[in-house]
Amino acid sequence: MSDLAASSAGADEVAVAGATAPEPHHDEHESTGIENRKLGMWVFLSSEFLFFGALITNYLLYSNRGGFEGTYPSEIYDIPFTSVSSFVLLMSSLTMVLAHNALSRHDQNGARTWLFATAALGSVFLGGQVFEFYEFIDVYGMTLSTNPAASAFYVLTGFHGAHVAIGVIMLLSLWGISRRQSGLSEKHGLNLELVGLYWHFVDIIWIVIFTVVYLLSVPPS
Amino acid sequence: MSTEQHAHHPTPAQYWKIAAFLAAVTAIEVAMFYIDRELGLGFLNAAILILLSAVKFIVVVGWFMHVRFEKPIINRFFAAGFVLACSLYLVVLAALGVVVIRGG
Repeated sequence: MSDLAASSAGADEVAVAGATAPEPHHDEHESTGIENRKLGMWVFLSSEFLFFGALITNYLLYSNRGGFEGTYPSEIYDIPFTSVSSFVLLMSSLTMVLAHNALSRHDQNGARTWLFATAALGSVFLGGQVFEFYEFIDVYGMTLSTNPAASAFYVLTGFHGAHVAIGVIMLLSLWGISRRQSGLSEKHGLNLELVGLYWHFVDIIWIVIFTVVYLLSVPPS
Repeated sequence: MSTEQHAHHPTPAQYWKIAAFLAAVTAIEVAMFYIDRELGLGFLNAAILILLSAVKFIVVVGWFMHVRFEKPIINRFFAAGFVLACSLYLVVLAALGVVVIRGG
């Protein structure tokens, strides 16, 4: 039931039962006993497996298919650099869960600090990806249209980077709200939990990408 | 999330330990990459790397995303999407003759 419908139903009850009517309830639970928005986030993340699965499959199809000119991504990966990026994103999951934990203990300052740390680590990861793309294009001349493997690589990692960027924006928004209102309300607490779920999901997708795309890379045949 | 549910969640100190474990697994993964270059482990390397990434995946989902502490329906929703995606794309890769794991 939407908030609007709930308000409408609440108003009807007031009209019928007078002062004994229950107060409008904003935390909507369906028969699952889970907040609708939280369940919605889990369903969304579940569907994202199909989205990233398609991109990873596309990469696996073309990553080592020979017969095309130009540089292949697997020939120029900088594993030490990407390993550090992966470590940074992994640690951002730690700071995210610490922000959630701090808020659950009503430690508003702690939550705000860890939120900012998560956004900062996410930004470092994004900076690393921009540097990697710049190096691939400028030094090795591998652009989006060089060959199908390059296209698949840029589309996969680019979409993941876009997800990280959206996550950073959401984190900074929550951080800004927390600063302006001197803390996060219960409503924004749920928002932090939802952003946290999204952020961890972005991290687990990178865990898969790091292994499948970088560590298990196969030179073109 | 109720206070009762939070009571079962790990403490900040436990979260740091989990993160240290994840960092150690990542370090082993990177080490495996270089060991494979020297020794040419082939399929064994691929199997170990996939196993290690699966461990990281499960730890992040279970502890950081709190799936272990949530209602089973969330677990089912999430697992359904993952299993569906894996099944679908493995069939696609098999149908197109792509060998996902290649020996060295």
